[in-house]
Amino acid sequence: MKPDRPIPSPLAQRFLRWFIKDELAEEVLGDLEEQYDAVLESRSSFQAKLNYWYQVFHYLRPFAIRNFKSTYSNPTLMFRHNFIISFRHFKRYKSTFLINLMGLSSGLACALLIYLWVSDELSIDKFHKNDSQLFQVMVRNHRSDGIAVIDNTPGPLAEGLADEMPEITSSVTASWTEQLTLSVEEKNVRAAGQYVGKNFFHIFSYDLVQGDANQVLTDKSAIVISEGLALKLFNSTENIIGKIVEVEHEKQYQISGVFEGTPVNSSEQFDFLLPFEVFKEKNQWATDWGAHGPRTYATIRAGTNIEQFNLKIGDYLKKKSGDPNIALFVRPYSDKYLYGKYENGEPSGGRIEYVRLFSIIALFILLIACINFMNLSTARASRRLKEVGLKKAIGAGRSALVSQYLGESLLVAFLSLTMALLMIVLFLPQFNEITGKQLSLHFSLTLMYSVLGVTLLTGLLAGSYPALYLSGFGPISILKGKISTSVGEVWTRKGLVVLQFAISVILIVSVLVIYKQIKYVQSTNLGYDKDNVVFFPRVGKNLESFLAEVNTLPGIVKASSIGHSMLGYYSSTGSLQWEGKSPDDNVSFEIVPVNHGMLEMLDIEMKEGRAFSDNFRSDSTAILFNEAAVEVMGLKDPVGKVVKLWDEDRQIIGVVKNFHFTSLHENVVPTFILLAPENTWNVMARIEAGRERETLDQLQQLHQEYYPGFPFDYQFLDEKYQALYIAEQRVATLSQYFAVLAILISCLGLFGLAAFTAERRLKEIGIRKILGSSNLGIVYLLSRDFTRMVGIAILIALPVSYVLSKHWLQGFAYRIDLAWWYFAGAGLAALLIAWFTVGLQTIKAARVNPSQCLKDE
Amino acid sequence: MKETRLGDFEEVILLLVGILGEEAYAFKLAEEFESQTGRSISIGAVHSTLSRLEDKGFLKSAMGKATAERGGRRKRIYTITAYGQRALVASRDFKLSLWQQYPAFATDKLNFGGQI
Repeated sequence: MKPDRPIPSPLAQRFLRWFIKDELAEEVLGDLEEQYDAVLESRSSFQAKLNYWYQVFHYLRPFAIRNFKSTYSNPTLMFRHNFIISFRHFKRYKSTFLINLMGLSSGLACALLIYLWVSDELSIDKFHKNDSQLFQVMVRNHRSDGIAVIDNTPGPLAEGLADEMPEITSSVTASWTEQLTLSVEEKNVRAAGQYVGKNFFHIFSYDLVQGDANQVLTDKSAIVISEGLALKLFNSTENIIGKIVEVEHEKQYQISGVFEGTPVNSSEQFDFLLPFEVFKEKNQWATDWGAHGPRTYATIRAGTNIEQFNLKIGDYLKKKSGDPNIALFVRPYSDKYLYGKYENGEPSGGRIEYVRLFSIIALFILLIACINFMNLSTARASRRLKEVGLKKAIGAGRSALVSQYLGESLLVAFLSLTMALLMIVLFLPQFNEITGKQLSLHFSLTLMYSVLGVTLLTGLLAGSYPALYLSGFGPISILKGKISTSVGEVWTRKGLVVLQFAISVILIVSVLVIYKQIKYVQSTNLGYDKDNVVFFPRVGKNLESFLAEVNTLPGIVKASSIGHSMLGYYSSTGSLQWEGKSPDDNVSFEIVPVNHGMLEMLDIEMKEGRAFSDNFRSDSTAILFNEAAVEVMGLKDPVGKVVKLWDEDRQIIGVVKNFHFTSLHENVVPTFILLAPENTWNVMARIEAGRERETLDQLQQLHQEYYPGFPFDYQFLDEKYQALYIAEQRVATLSQYFAVLAILISCLGLFGLAAFTAERRLKEIGIRKILGSSNLGIVYLLSRDFTRMVGIAILIALPVSYVLSKHWLQGFAYRIDLAWWYFAGAGLAALLIAWFTVGLQTIKAARVNPSQCLKDE
Repeated sequence: MKETRLGDFEEVILLLVGILGEEAYAFKLAEEFESQTGRSISIGAVHSTLSRLEDKGFLKSAMGKATAERGGRRKRIYTITAYGQRALVASRDFKLSLWQQYPAFATDKLNFGGQI
């Protein structure tokens, strides 16, 4: 060996030593050095070094490279170990575990229920195959009091648009849904149906089971019925094509097709379809470009710019009808359900607001549940510090600890998911009842993904803070016991509790406001008495003698007929002329044709003048206005003046006080009332309270005698009125449940925290008691912190909830004032609940025997 | 299951181990391989083959004594096991039987200079 020979590259040696297995290092280094010497004898030292590097790189082979993973790592073993530790931990601290489990599972259940509801809402009307091309033609009516948006279009519009607009691939007219009597031999069934154009089954994807989509509605005497209706009429869906169905005992139709029935997630529900040609024959006005009634739907070529198309068709109807105040536009058909509201001509949401509201509530509740989990785990972290310290000391890496704690929170999350699914199965029927839906826990792929996604997210979210926090400690400081809870950590925990309670208080206030407003709406005097009034459609013939006989029934207070439903708008006109009307006034008046005695029956009060009377034969050319109408017209001393309606003079004989046609969302519209028994189609009768059953039986009998073959299909006015508020009612009920749930989950968390604090300060309490502190003093000591947190939460929540309630109430034309006590009450309630929760724990802690808690160290 | 077939390169290395006897360690084997075949080879490649042959049971190894050479590091000396020898013989017999079955190469018709 030559001492002065150049040595091989130390870097290459270091590299080799780094990657090669320890047991191979010696021999390999030896071999390589020999090789190096051999090369050095015949070549330059540079070449020898190069060759050394070459040889080193050639040892990068699987057999020689050391195992860089921990030699003792065994994933399944670690998993089992973690699992056992988690399980023992659950068993040891049952209350924490149960609080976590209950909180998370109810939070998850609630979020999943809302998810089911939201996805159902979003699916409405989306089932049509050409959904993205399917549009509804809408009308903007520029009136003096603002822009009204209606979906009533002139009858010829569909064909006109299809002829003149190349963008439109197909279009169809459809009437509104109405209830008619269908008869087959002796069987009479009342069902909902529409008059629709030929293209109906091309544009909409209602499944035609029998019959040809091109043919079914071409014939004027054709009728298409649903399978459900077929079963009712024929007890079978087989061989019914070509059979005869009589409608309203007037006209016979031949069945040309059978469709499957309207899906649940269709906003239009009907059981039969008649050709629109028949509608035109029955209603002459339906061929007029100036009369608005039916709806128009169209499919528009893909790729059309809808904004430009709207500009293009904007003036279309102006030219056709000569009415300068009318503008057309189209909106996606599937927006009809969720985005149905317009304010002064511009879209202003609709049901989508409830969808958003509930999505936010779901998120909030899930957040509250996650906060519980995070708070309890971090607070209890001290219990696990020894475990963490030991693990770290014997070589556990940070990532191993993070995965352990994340794994534990995921375990709790998935346990909660199982519980949540159980809860959903249990509560779904009730939930369906409240929401009026037919939701089911179907295991579709999207649902599975979202459920798993939400659970994973919850687990990770809830576990991330404790996992990162716990694993961050140094092993030495832990084992020395030098961990003091940092100020930041305490603040985070307090902040989270404040957030929880703020959300809960906001929910409580919202529920109070919604409840009060609904109550107000339902108990407000509408301007007429809607209680105990039954109504049913008039059948045409012998109206007067029928009414006379109804009026003799013992349980009937008064019966009459009306050409209006009193619920929602029916028909209006802008062609009223009065003295002093300026040419650009465009006011539309609601038309209410009534029979004798109708106003008295409904208890509509007179402001001036008199109502219609049997004693004045001239009353058939008289007219009554409501206050709103008089105000719009600007008439002073209206009674006795003459207005011109449809080119006929009519004398104003009186003014009635305002009454509401629709929900209190809207202002009272200008209205006039005519005495026109021949134009009434709705029979209304007030029944003496308490005699409904027998009187209805008698009414039915009478109806049967007068109109055999027409089922007696009655409804109560007040029930029908309640239905106008069904959406709000559901929101109110649901939000009540959710608010209770939110508060419960928050309290669970508070309970856990209070228990923990009391436990941690047990020694302190013992010493304080020995030094003479009273029980009450200790309760005060322990509750002070929590009271402060809840107080801050209330201070934050009240302004927020004030703004939110104000915004929600804006949607009502008639609304409650926000009283101070809604907010004070909600705050107080939250505080009391918090005190109660904390109190349970603190009193227990305060009663502890000092010798018990001080004796052991 | 452990692979027990003897590859071509493995066979050569195994034979070289037998030829070198007491001197059969990775560096020497690589050197011998180069001088016998004229092809260059890295020590790593030889070493990997040796460890594979040891896994298969054809070789066994032991650390030699420390010497003043190579920085005082010990060598790993490989020796053929009985199983390895059997494998070599079987391999040779198999090839011979193939040679004999091929008429054009049959030993009696070819002149190998009497070496075989």
